[in-house]
Amino acid sequence: MATADLSAPGGFRRRFSIAHWGIAGREALAGYLFTAPALIGLLSFTALPIVASLVLIFLNYDLLTPPTWASGSNISRLFDDSRMLIIYRNTVQLVAGATFLNNVLGLLLAVGLNRSMPWILRYILRTSIFFPVLTTTASLAVVWRFLLTQDRGVVNFLLGQIGLDPVPWLSSSRWALISATIYDVWKSCGFLMVIYLAGLQGIPVVYYEAARIDGAGRLQQFRNVTLPLISPTAFFAVVISLIGAFQIFDNVWVLTSGGPGDASRTITMYIYEKAFRGFEMGYASAVSFTLFMVLICLTLGQFWVARRWVHYE
Amino acid sequence: MLRLSGLGVVGAALAACVAPDGASSGDAGTAAQEPVGIIATTQMPVNTFDNSIERSLEQLPNIALEVNANGWGGGGWDGYSDTLLTRIAGGEQIDVIMIAIEGLGLLAAKNVLVPLDGFIQADPEAEEILMNDVHVTLREMLQVDGQQMEYPFSWNNMVMYYNTAVFEEVGLEPPANDWNWDDFLEACLAVARVTGGADDRFAYSFWGGGMFGMAAWYFNNDTSPLSEDWLESNVLDPKVLETLQFLADLILVHKVAPNPEGWDEWAQFHAGNLVMRTCGRWCIGGSLEADFTTYNIQYQPHQAGPIRTVAGTDGWGISTSSENPDEAWEVVKLLSGTDASLDMVQLGGNIPALRSVAEMPLFADYGPANTALFYETLDFAATVPSPPNFNAVEPILNRNYATIWNGEKSVEEAMQAAHDELVPEMAKLQG
Repeated sequence: MATADLSAPGGFRRRFSIAHWGIAGREALAGYLFTAPALIGLLSFTALPIVASLVLIFLNYDLLTPPTWASGSNISRLFDDSRMLIIYRNTVQLVAGATFLNNVLGLLLAVGLNRSMPWILRYILRTSIFFPVLTTTASLAVVWRFLLTQDRGVVNFLLGQIGLDPVPWLSSSRWALISATIYDVWKSCGFLMVIYLAGLQGIPVVYYEAARIDGAGRLQQFRNVTLPLISPTAFFAVVISLIGAFQIFDNVWVLTSGGPGDASRTITMYIYEKAFRGFEMGYASAVSFTLFMVLICLTLGQFWVARRWVHYE
Repeated sequence: MLRLSGLGVVGAALAACVAPDGASSGDAGTAAQEPVGIIATTQMPVNTFDNSIERSLEQLPNIALEVNANGWGGGGWDGYSDTLLTRIAGGEQIDVIMIAIEGLGLLAAKNVLVPLDGFIQADPEAEEILMNDVHVTLREMLQVDGQQMEYPFSWNNMVMYYNTAVFEEVGLEPPANDWNWDDFLEACLAVARVTGGADDRFAYSFWGGGMFGMAAWYFNNDTSPLSEDWLESNVLDPKVLETLQFLADLILVHKVAPNPEGWDEWAQFHAGNLVMRTCGRWCIGGSLEADFTTYNIQYQPHQAGPIRTVAGTDGWGISTSSENPDEAWEVVKLLSGTDASLDMVQLGGNIPALRSVAEMPLFADYGPANTALFYETLDFAATVPSPPNFNAVEPILNRNYATIWNGEKSVEEAMQAAHDELVPEMAKLQG
């Protein structure tokens, strides 16, 4: 059996010289080099913080004084935290409402805009619907706060003009979360509309022609051609809107500050408050970990369910 | 050619090594004159200190002063303190810190402030001003365990601002300085025009939950949401409940006050849609900007116990993270001085801590007719409750007040919920 003689003159250099790696080796190296910046970023800004967060769960740390060992107290505290249950309930309601409405409205708007119409009208409609996506969430939330104020708010003034009583949009536990959902849908559905529009425009016309020849009406075409063929797009849209909804923070922060009471507080707000207002980094990490687990379960669940309703051509 | 260039470089290097002493000492002199960067942070509009920065160029040539704004963090002093601590923990350079009594305990507990006693004792002029030109109440408010943690700059109490034109329009006499809650309610009912329409005029609006705004009411009913030593919850005290019920009734029963959540008190007062509001001197700034002049001020209406006004002081202190505490002390003096105080007065900011400035005619020029009231109250001022965990206590109270103002919980239910949250929070201070 022949063995490489690294002690031979030039042996070591030849062994590690790129010129002798072969095409596969050189391609692999190029691949590693190209992905290195992204990998370094991922490790530094995602993986390391996750590990640090896991470690923090077992510490009491207030950012300014050295951490002390907390054992499992931050974890056991999760089970005694009655506020967290209320806040998770709010979050689930907000996520469900925003994800459902964003996707349904986004799809309906995309279908509407995918029809033939004068180009100028199409341009104006697309721009108008997409425009809120381009503006900053917090500044628009300030505007909405003025619009929705119970006393002297514009929306209640208009409701009054048609004989309706003022609605406590931001100050009632019943309405605060609904207001936050309405705002999120207004702000985000334009983005999903664009995604769905791209999906719709990728469907070959021949499928519709074939369906028409088979006598399918508009509704049947939508159900049997459009929906199955945009299901990969819809899957993508649902996943990103669901994760985005779990991360809702700034609009609720500006609109209601989580109130009244805890009525519109979301889990991300709660984590922020525990970490940067209470300086309880350990407990904030423990709550973050529960959110991490919820998101993992939801994403895995979605992939499992997707096998039944997502159709790839 | 390359060889010649190489020789040239070596020659230049040797020449540099044997350069005359004068040349090198000149460089060192330039380096020594490089100003020390000092960064001060404040909650006030940063333009309050534009002139101070100009003055620093002349008076403190060895210091490059920067004054930046520290955000309110979506709250009052609780949010301010949290933002500040996060910045410091993030390694940001902050040498000089403005903080008020509400956040002082927290910052002291986190060992963020250097006690100023050593600097003051070594500086007779500063000590003279502190002892003789600053009211003892203000001075002591910024002490922790007997140590002076901040040098007082400004302070506030809460008074009732009222629209004189509306009072005149409905034929009401200006409120007397001994008015009580009944008189106040009577005035509210007389000036309010609330029908749910676009031309609604509310009689009064109060802060939804800020400790300072609420203390103005509590103190005038001889109570407080915390015990006197600020170590225990006192929200179940019948007088606390009575105070909250009075305020809730203004919204829910008499319908003369809006739900304070989301209500823009400043704009509505200047637009004439709000007749009375409780505020400190800083509200004059907004009125100056809006060119609104038809208003005056009066003491808060009184209900029980001795007449008291809530007061809170802010000042400048030195951060333990500052690498140049001596220069930072010079900046503290500059930013607390007469000139900086006058700048603040002219912008309609807080009441200056320096009595000499508050007694200047200029102080009265930038305010309503009753401006003298601001400084007069100091003799019966009580400090706003400010435990070291103020940043946790205030949000607990705010959250629960909100459920009273919207009518979802009774005063008793909401305060029981607040009490249940406060007890473990306050226990942390005792342990």
